[in-house]
Amino acid sequence: MLYRFVFLIIGMACLFAGTQRADAHPHVWVTMTEELLYAPDGSVTGVRHAWTFDDMFSAFATEGIEQKTKGEFAREELAPLAKVNVESLKDYAYFTYARVDGKRHKDAFLEPIDYYLDYDPKDTVLTLHFTLPFKTPVKAKAIEVEVYDPEFFIDFGFAEKDPIRLVSAPAQCIASIEKPNDGNFPATLRLDQAFQTSEANAGMGASFANKISVTCP
Amino acid sequence: MTRRAAVVAGIVVFVLAAGAVTSAFAQVGPLGGLRAPAATGVVGWILAEQALFYRALSGLIRAAKTDGSAYWGLMGISFVYGIFHAAGPGHGKAVISSYLLANEETWRRGIALSFASALLQALTAVVIVAVAAVLIGATAKMMGDTVRVIEIVSYALIVLLGARLLWVKGRGFLHALYAVRSGSKPAATAGAEHHAHPAHDAHAYRDHHDHAYKEHTHHGHAHDHHNYDDEEESALPWGHAHGPELEELAGPGGWHRGLSAIVAVGLRPCSGAIIVLVFALAQGLFLAGIASTFVMGLGTAITVAAIATLAVAAKAAAKRFATTRAGHGSLVLRGVEVGAALLVMAFGVLLLTGTMASERMGMF
Repeated sequence: MLYRFVFLIIGMACLFAGTQRADAHPHVWVTMTEELLYAPDGSVTGVRHAWTFDDMFSAFATEGIEQKTKGEFAREELAPLAKVNVESLKDYAYFTYARVDGKRHKDAFLEPIDYYLDYDPKDTVLTLHFTLPFKTPVKAKAIEVEVYDPEFFIDFGFAEKDPIRLVSAPAQCIASIEKPNDGNFPATLRLDQAFQTSEANAGMGASFANKISVTCP
Repeated sequence: MTRRAAVVAGIVVFVLAAGAVTSAFAQVGPLGGLRAPAATGVVGWILAEQALFYRALSGLIRAAKTDGSAYWGLMGISFVYGIFHAAGPGHGKAVISSYLLANEETWRRGIALSFASALLQALTAVVIVAVAAVLIGATAKMMGDTVRVIEIVSYALIVLLGARLLWVKGRGFLHALYAVRSGSKPAATAGAEHHAHPAHDAHAYRDHHDHAYKEHTHHGHAHDHHNYDDEEESALPWGHAHGPELEELAGPGGWHRGLSAIVAVGLRPCSGAIIVLVFALAQGLFLAGIASTFVMGLGTAITVAAIATLAVAAKAAAKRFATTRAGHGSLVLRGVEVGAALLVMAFGVLLLTGTMASERMGMF
């Protein structure tokens, strides 16, 4: 009887686990390099994204697009796709979340400008470039920008080389990045570490967010 | 025994409710601002593994262009990826399991349902890419839109499936409730109340045998037959107080009945399969992509079938507890069925309204 009971509970737990969001699995990987744009008065005017998609998604995204040269896509040929991309991203708040002096800055951005797609024929990957201007330029001691997909269908990760650049920022501003401690780099994730992570994360509202922090004392 | 039955029923209801609530609230869209916790622990590990396998697929498909032996690696990784991948949302685990909880199904049928729906998922992915990309030369957006339409149809079918289950199971519940209300009468006269169903005795006998058979095949227990019969006998007038028309729906056979669940669940293809197929097509290896998709579907089916089997076992356990107690036990069992039917419908509604995320086609 007892073992039946345990069996039942385990079964139910599996059912239950299967419906939870944390089980989401990405089908798209994005490697990003980010720029924060500064106005001469030292305020931040916007965020410039450069998101490189993985090769499988890039092949999927470019399917059916006409090309003059096989294996290559000119920027103009990709223009309609870039438009579709930024328009679709609006529904997801561009996966970009800003915090000013520790406070969440909701609905912070205008529609994207200067957007285009690049295709790298060697790596066969697409890179989406777009700028998100702040509705009102932000002047603060601490600005944080996070990039993540809350549903985790897209796995965002910083580029290994120069992931963040401050464009014409005041000299005293310092940028740092914070990577999620799991998810993005599964190659380094071992089972024992996974358990550690799970304990460390308990109650901390941990996420797979990639955080850019800039402080201008 | 009765206390245990009550505890089990309580836990089942609680877990189902908790599952429904978390899936409803943990899945608020990006604009809702609720951040999902990172996948951690064992689940996180599984997801990390499946992400690795998925990324390995692209390398293997490329390798298969020049190296024939890479095909074996591709199939192996596809299979394992399918197994791990099905741990994520979508793939109908929740719907199929709830469907099995709501119905009187054998574990064989549970497995058959799982395999059929997983293979249908693979098939729709192949058909979409074959028609859209190969024949029409459609763009990713068109494929995404197609999937969206199929998705809506699929979710609407899940709502309908849940509604029908709710109608059938709701009546069963009311039947049981009626039986309990008039439960003070001795069992002997209770049979007379059901004279409206002349086939009652015969069907009860059939059901009881069926049940015993299931117990034996599934768990390999050497039940003391005599003892078991006695137990079952005393519970019979109440435990099976529903009419034969319900028995027809719940009993074995009736493949067409499971078909609605298979179609509702299996119609929506896996986004990953479509991306892999298009990638394989771009590499000029569409056939390898198709094979990989079906092998993936096979892996997915195994995971879904395992969970479905647990659901069937849970239902069988709940039924056993229920049948050891006249009246209320049956009421609890019917209650669980109604709860599971509600859950199927709730999943459909949540999926349809986008509250509960299944899968997304990237950023389209």
